[in-house]
Amino acid sequence: MEAGNIFYTTIPWNLKRSFTRNPCNFRRFIRASANLQSQRGYKGPKPSKDWVADWVTNNDDTVRSLPIYVGGVSLLAVLFNRTVSGIAPVADASSSQSRADLLTIALAVTNILTGLVWLSIRPKSITVVNPEGVECRMISSHLPDFIVSELLWAWESLSSATCSRSLVVVYDSICILQIGVAAQSPNDGEVVTVDVGKLMQGSVYQGVMRSGTQSYLANLFLYPGRSELPFLPSNTQAVILQPLGDKGLAIIGGDTIRGFTTSDQSWIAFIGEKLDATLAKYSNTVSLVVEDGISK
Amino acid sequence: MSIHLSSPLIQFKIPIKSRAKTRIKSSSISARLDSSQQPDQQLNLSVLRFTFGIPGFDESYLPRWIGYGFGSLLVLNHFVFSNSVTSAQLRSEGLGLSLAAFSVALPYLGKFLKGATPMDQKILPESTDQIFVMSQNISDTLKEDLAWATYVLLRNTNSISVLISFRGELCIRGYWSTPDGLAKSQLVEWFERQIEKIGLSDLKESLYFPQSADSGIWEMLPKETSSLFVQPVIQTPNPSAGEMEKIEGFVLLASSIRYAYRDKDRAWIRAIANKFRDLTKV
Repeated sequence: MEAGNIFYTTIPWNLKRSFTRNPCNFRRFIRASANLQSQRGYKGPKPSKDWVADWVTNNDDTVRSLPIYVGGVSLLAVLFNRTVSGIAPVADASSSQSRADLLTIALAVTNILTGLVWLSIRPKSITVVNPEGVECRMISSHLPDFIVSELLWAWESLSSATCSRSLVVVYDSICILQIGVAAQSPNDGEVVTVDVGKLMQGSVYQGVMRSGTQSYLANLFLYPGRSELPFLPSNTQAVILQPLGDKGLAIIGGDTIRGFTTSDQSWIAFIGEKLDATLAKYSNTVSLVVEDGISK
Repeated sequence: MSIHLSSPLIQFKIPIKSRAKTRIKSSSISARLDSSQQPDQQLNLSVLRFTFGIPGFDESYLPRWIGYGFGSLLVLNHFVFSNSVTSAQLRSEGLGLSLAAFSVALPYLGKFLKGATPMDQKILPESTDQIFVMSQNISDTLKEDLAWATYVLLRNTNSISVLISFRGELCIRGYWSTPDGLAKSQLVEWFERQIEKIGLSDLKESLYFPQSADSGIWEMLPKETSSLFVQPVIQTPNPSAGEMEKIEGFVLLASSIRYAYRDKDRAWIRAIANKFRDLTKV
């Protein structure tokens, strides 16, 4: 059973903004035209406001049913025209009046069908499910600054551009990052930390590392392996498991079923590779230091 | 063209096909309507997805062609086949022509609906070659980050060209319309002069031209450019130190299709720009 009732609900454009954690306004290109006047540096052209695009995106549902109403009203208008002018409503192509009417009716029907097609491809309005747990921010202490800043950048990007609410990074059998909302342990109300040993023996981890590619669990509720991820809030809706090379795994929890789009998935894959490259640099440095220590 | 990284420890394993394996087959844009879950719509409307089955033929533009075709038939009927035109016929034809105009506009409106996939394919410029140049004398970390960021931006967005400027250092990748016969170092200087002319380094807010920008000023862009997005890299001020907001650089992306950068794309581009913002702290 999918979460929530799939009802026809209008999602106002403003609600979509609350998904994103970015406090900045997306509609910058509207404000740019006003602010550019005050910048002495920029001499280029200013973009003009796109009325049609804005109107359509703001009134998505009305626009979807608009062709149906237009087509329906035109059909009635054709019939009305016929009755008013005293011509019998007979559809034959003999008189030019009938031909004109037939063409108009065909256009009206096209409009109605287009409207029905638009209604049929309306995306299901999925509601956001707030994860239950506590905010946490645990970063492994022995990491150098550049890695910490890269990890924090990755988290900031994920939380502002996607529906992610939790992030756990495991590398070299250590949990180096646990940030966002984490599950709360029922005993003492503290954050449930990641038991890396147990995680690495579980089928989820093994499966992802064996395949070496990203795994997207679009609806975590339906997936039996979710018991192996007890550190994520219990009502996490979607999870992306991104392997970081051979040695690590990033676990990203989202608050919407199927909330990660294909573009999000490819961005996350690239960020995973970047993190792997950075972390590999660090772990190679560490192993060199350790070898020096042993040889001495 | 490639960048030789001095550190052999860095490996960028970038597979050709980075496709995610979805355990549960579903897409974020659901075209299926289960009639059991829609209490107010008894019909299963998904049967109305109509296709001729011809590859490369885009059915969403069908209303436009029907509009043109039937509109012209109406005009033909009026002028050629009518002996005397009654007012009823005129009304009917007026209605028909306005319906035709509306049908022609329908695919344009449909592009902005949620769940609409962009129909146009990226048009790769034929005349120019791809370039990849970077300023000299920059640190290795910055080189790697610039190379990675430009690569990722070209792969993941509908862009054909990308330019990143950070503290005066440039990295340019993709298709650009540059004058012929310039060496790499001269190319970088040429770009710097272009940027100086437009004054892009002083941009405080992001700039988005969904349709073609005035190409008189932007002569460095390829002529196939249809959308343009510029995102400045701004260092967040430290309130305790009393610093002002400082503009460290910008990320410029150009694409050959219109409305190429949707909200999500712009959010991700902003995230990449923030990567460079964080470099100032380390």
